[in-house]
Amino acid sequence: MSTTSQEKKLVTLKSSDKEEFVVEESIAVTSETIKNIIEDVGLELIPLPNVDGKTLAKVIEYCTKHSTGSNDDSEDIKKFDDEFLNSNQIQVLFDMVLAANYLNIKSLLEKVCTKIADRIKDMSVEEVREVFKIENDFTPEEEKKIRDEHAWAHE
Amino acid sequence: MGQSSSSSGSIHRTYHRSVSRSEILSVINSNRGNLNMKMKTDANSEANNNNNNNTEAVTDANANANDDYDYISEIPDECLAIIFQSLSAGDRKRCSLVSRRWLVVEGQSRQRLALNAKSELLPLVPPLFTRFDSVTKLALRCDRRSVSINDDALILISLRCPNLTRLKLRGCRELTDIGMAAFALNCKGLKKFSCGSCLFGAKGMNAVLDHCAFLEELSVKRLRGINDGGAAEQIGPGVAASSLKTICLKELYNGQCFGPLITGTKKLRTLKLLRCLGDWDKILENIATRENSLFEIHLERLQVSDDGLSAISNCSNLEILHIVKTPECTNVGIVAIAEQCKLLRKLHIDGWRTNRIGNEGLIAIAKHSSNLQELVLIGVNPSSISLEAIASNCQKLERLALCGSETIADAEISCIAAKCMALKKLCIKGCPVSDQGIEAFAWGCPNLVKIKVKKCRAVTSEVSDWLRSRRGSLVVNLDICGVEGEVVDASASDSGAQEDGVEFPPIGSRSTAVHADATTTSNGRSSSVFKSRFGLFGGRSFVACTFRRWSGGTSSFNGSS
Repeated sequence: MSTTSQEKKLVTLKSSDKEEFVVEESIAVTSETIKNIIEDVGLELIPLPNVDGKTLAKVIEYCTKHSTGSNDDSEDIKKFDDEFLNSNQIQVLFDMVLAANYLNIKSLLEKVCTKIADRIKDMSVEEVREVFKIENDFTPEEEKKIRDEHAWAHE
Repeated sequence: MGQSSSSSGSIHRTYHRSVSRSEILSVINSNRGNLNMKMKTDANSEANNNNNNNTEAVTDANANANDDYDYISEIPDECLAIIFQSLSAGDRKRCSLVSRRWLVVEGQSRQRLALNAKSELLPLVPPLFTRFDSVTKLALRCDRRSVSINDDALILISLRCPNLTRLKLRGCRELTDIGMAAFALNCKGLKKFSCGSCLFGAKGMNAVLDHCAFLEELSVKRLRGINDGGAAEQIGPGVAASSLKTICLKELYNGQCFGPLITGTKKLRTLKLLRCLGDWDKILENIATRENSLFEIHLERLQVSDDGLSAISNCSNLEILHIVKTPECTNVGIVAIAEQCKLLRKLHIDGWRTNRIGNEGLIAIAKHSSNLQELVLIGVNPSSISLEAIASNCQKLERLALCGSETIADAEISCIAAKCMALKKLCIKGCPVSDQGIEAFAWGCPNLVKIKVKKCRAVTSEVSDWLRSRRGSLVVNLDICGVEGEVVDASASDSGAQEDGVEFPPIGSRSTAVHADATTTSNGRSSSVFKSRFGLFGGRSFVACTFRRWSGGTSSFNGSS
């Protein structure tokens, strides 16, 4: 798989819903998963059946912004990250977590997780269950036991 | 919360998990990185696609932590753990009550734990450490009124946490040398050990030093067990002497018995001696005679003289030095340090208004300390000559704090404004400056970012308003002085230091009150106000007699049990 020195090498990423995105390889390899595929298998068209188009588009946007070689701490990047992950719908964040995990983009994964954590902060147990639609599978005795343990733990 | 399908308006974009896989999938899905996806079944994706309301699906679901009907179950445990990482302990506690799966993930991803170390904790140790099985940083704190955990509990805990890297003990008065020794044998990977208000003795301390070969930081405060009698057992050096980098001793009667440890620690970088009895000159001399890499030294309320400071001047790598309320130190010692410690970057001097450190010492600093970035002067009375020298010669000086000085007034402040080119942050507290002096900062110190003025009676809001209008980018923090003769000594509580916003460690001493009828400090965070009046503590005599009283081993810092 020789690269021509003139043009930037491109790869095509294909989402679960068959949307195709043509991306510079140097940006695509922000994802360790994609990087490994390219290195090991040498594909130019990479199917990503675990990520839908909408999410993949956003991920590519993130990788593009973050691979300009600029400092991750710059104001510009911070602002971008803030707005980028600013979503009212928690499902969007979940999709992003799954995508970032699957694609193995550590920085994105951590940032999205932090955003989700921000939602959870200061929520009561019931509220968390409601928002994330989780069922309570504890017996009352089990719950009491846990709360008793908590009385002993400061932090 | 709506599903993505309805909100985006494009049903095609719904997350499909049941897409037929090509052969390539097996390559992609090989275990690289964090692949831990759970693929949903066809039936489930249908349920997801069908409607926005998941409650039906949820109630149908079994009470099974692995059930697919909740959003979070899709997210792999490692990701859930990353989410928990950003949460406070209180939030984490709440999360652990959400479901069984969350309980498990939260417990297993918990590395840091602080427990109420009362004796009644013992039966809870097994279930707690089953749930929190990855703890590496542990704090055990017992309040003064309760009976603490005993050796059995500590040993049990140490058996459950063999990978402990940090242990903090507070008020665990029932622990003895035996418990400490057993603990040390079980937790050999310990890197940081901190104990306060415990009662074990030299044997226990030596056990830690003999077994924990990776120990880097040791902090001991009020260890009562080493006070017995005249022939106190020596502590150290032990195996840990080759790894220790930081030693901090506070409020020890017999701190001298740590001598062998301090001198035997070849790689010691940071040494802090605060309010420990005895003469420390000798030990400092012993350190200085050998090759050392000491980089930071704090001496506070200690019996140390210019001999000790001269010894310190041999530490050519010294960058940070705090000399706080050590009335036997004079200009002579400061000059010695200035001449030899060329790398000095941060210097804090609290002269306790004894006037033994002043212009002479500061001029030497100005002459030699070209790397000085941060200077804090408390209870020191310099005049323009030394301040101007520092302002002109210390070209890298970025942070300056001047507190409780009788001589720093408008003229002196003007020197700083005129000459201190690199200054970014300035704090002036309890000095006889007025609006006129502060005015100079409208145009002086070109790099100034923040100026803070506290408890200076002649400085009014007029000048702060004026400054703000003249120099918009400058952050001006001014508090109007209240009662006359108010506390000037900068020994405000921690909150006072934090509100500074300046990157200084807390200015001033958090020591116990020296005043005879002052209330005793509480354990831990000291909020005792050093009720000094400007005039009262001016002279050396008071300080000297206080010191004598203190050296007599009376209850100066014995107040809290």
